[in-house]
Amino acid sequence: MRLSVFARTARDQRRSMVAWAIGLVLLVGMYVGVYPSVKGSGSSFTKLIDQMPKTFRALFTTGGGVDFTTPAGYLNTELLTFMGPMLVLVYAIGAGSALAGEEDRGTLDLLLANPIGRARVLLEKFAALAAGVAVLMTALWLALLVEGSAAGMDVPLAHAAAAVLHLGLLGVEFGALALLVGALTGRLALARAVPAGVAVAAYLVNGFASIVSWLGPIRASSPFYQYIGRDPLRTGLSPTAVLVSVLSIAVLVGLATASFRRRDVLT
Amino acid sequence: MGVVGGEAGVDHPPPDPVVRLEGLTKDYGRHRALDGIDLTVGPGEIFGYLGPNGAGKTTTIRLLLGLLRPTAGRATVLGLDSWRDSTAVHARAGYLPGEPTMNGRLTGRELVSYFAALRRRPADVTSATGLADRFDLDLDRRIRALSRGNRQKLAIVQAFMSDPDLVVLDEPTSGLDPLVQQEFHQLLGETTARGATVLFSSHVLNEVDRVADRVGIIRQGRLVAVEHLADLRAKALHRVEARITGPVDLGPFRSLDGVRDLTVEDGVLRCGVPRPSLDGLIKALGRYPVADLSVTEADLEELFLAYYSEASADAA
Repeated sequence: MRLSVFARTARDQRRSMVAWAIGLVLLVGMYVGVYPSVKGSGSSFTKLIDQMPKTFRALFTTGGGVDFTTPAGYLNTELLTFMGPMLVLVYAIGAGSALAGEEDRGTLDLLLANPIGRARVLLEKFAALAAGVAVLMTALWLALLVEGSAAGMDVPLAHAAAAVLHLGLLGVEFGALALLVGALTGRLALARAVPAGVAVAAYLVNGFASIVSWLGPIRASSPFYQYIGRDPLRTGLSPTAVLVSVLSIAVLVGLATASFRRRDVLT
Repeated sequence: MGVVGGEAGVDHPPPDPVVRLEGLTKDYGRHRALDGIDLTVGPGEIFGYLGPNGAGKTTTIRLLLGLLRPTAGRATVLGLDSWRDSTAVHARAGYLPGEPTMNGRLTGRELVSYFAALRRRPADVTSATGLADRFDLDLDRRIRALSRGNRQKLAIVQAFMSDPDLVVLDEPTSGLDPLVQQEFHQLLGETTARGATVLFSSHVLNEVDRVADRVGIIRQGRLVAVEHLADLRAKALHRVEARITGPVDLGPFRSLDGVRDLTVEDGVLRCGVPRPSLDGLIKALGRYPVADLSVTEADLEELFLAYYSEASADAA
């Protein structure tokens, strides 16, 4: 079985992929580089954050505690809570909207006029998205290990792997949402804007759930909770969270396939 | 084969037409873009689908390729349903969209290799190279660096490269210069000579005129006529303007078959006549000193007028 659409899409993404991977490596390097100076005053940082208003703290730490005295605590707050997910989401939403992009530009007509089913095209586009995120996450994982150990922050290999796996699943989830919106509407702008908006909402739900009582029950529905709520860098892999993420992705892709097969291709 | 009448069993069912549209209807919201089109096109035929812009030509073509879902009715290609069996239809058909858009970062060769891989016909790349040579198209340039005409050539190449049984072309010669058009028309001829069928749309009568065997005329979503070209030609009006010195007796002009809008003003005689009456018109003009004469072929709208006036005359 030849995955031509997958191969073509992956090749189209190749150059931006390299740029993204370099960006992630540099980002990790920057955080790791400043750690020694932060560590020295780690407890005062922690105190400072403890004195912040509760709402503020909830946003920064997505409801978790803050601990700058350990490498894991530091990386969790600085890299994995905000910057990391944001970059991964931007990438994944961009890649997930590739199908809508083809429709928006008008190249989808000729692609679909080939003897390949629409479901197949969509699934291969999804595979390209997932593969892209996997490559980025591998780069991030290697950066954490290599740069971390160079700076004397020993992040356990398995815990780092768990953290990037959960982060990757978060990215693929929002990429799949972009794919779904694109499959439903064929509009590139919507395929990017809707997942971005949902991501902000999901981030806030997870962050504020610790202080806003009515958000408590819906916290688990936030992909951000599945990602970082269980603190993978310190506690390792959460099979439940992986299962929830994988199921969500499967549902999103299934809905996308069903709707894409049913509708007119826009010109 | 000659199974005549009620023989038991259906050992030799009649061959499926290459294209069959049955009550094909498409609504966009409240707007009815296509209204119950019935049409069959047989093997080896070049069918011209003629109509003004916005009449429903592109909608019909995209329904035929399963890119749109019909509101009612159905389209079939070689007996396969265009919507439900679209993948099988695509394996037998080549397609040239009205405004072909291709990934500009690819070269022509990368594009045809991609499509050949999707078709699981790697040898198509060779056939595409041959076609590109024929049209003097450089396959190694990036698509975004190609002129409009060259992009159109590339779109033609990918539509024909797999030797499809049916080629569907939406306004194929837009942007092509006359020499290339000639080559293209020759390609159409070769395509039908090997038994394949061509369906192409146009809003230019002239183009259809040169290559099509039959034409369908579509107007506001309805197929108003399907005719052999010879019959259509007979109906097409020519606009005649003749500057005549001296008084004119309109009698002989009025008696021409199918003459319309006959006027004389400031020594200029104007009228529209169908092709078969041109000879009579010239002979009638021959009796006068003619200072100037112009004959232009009617455009599509005028052809429709001619068609409608006849249809309403028949109805009356």
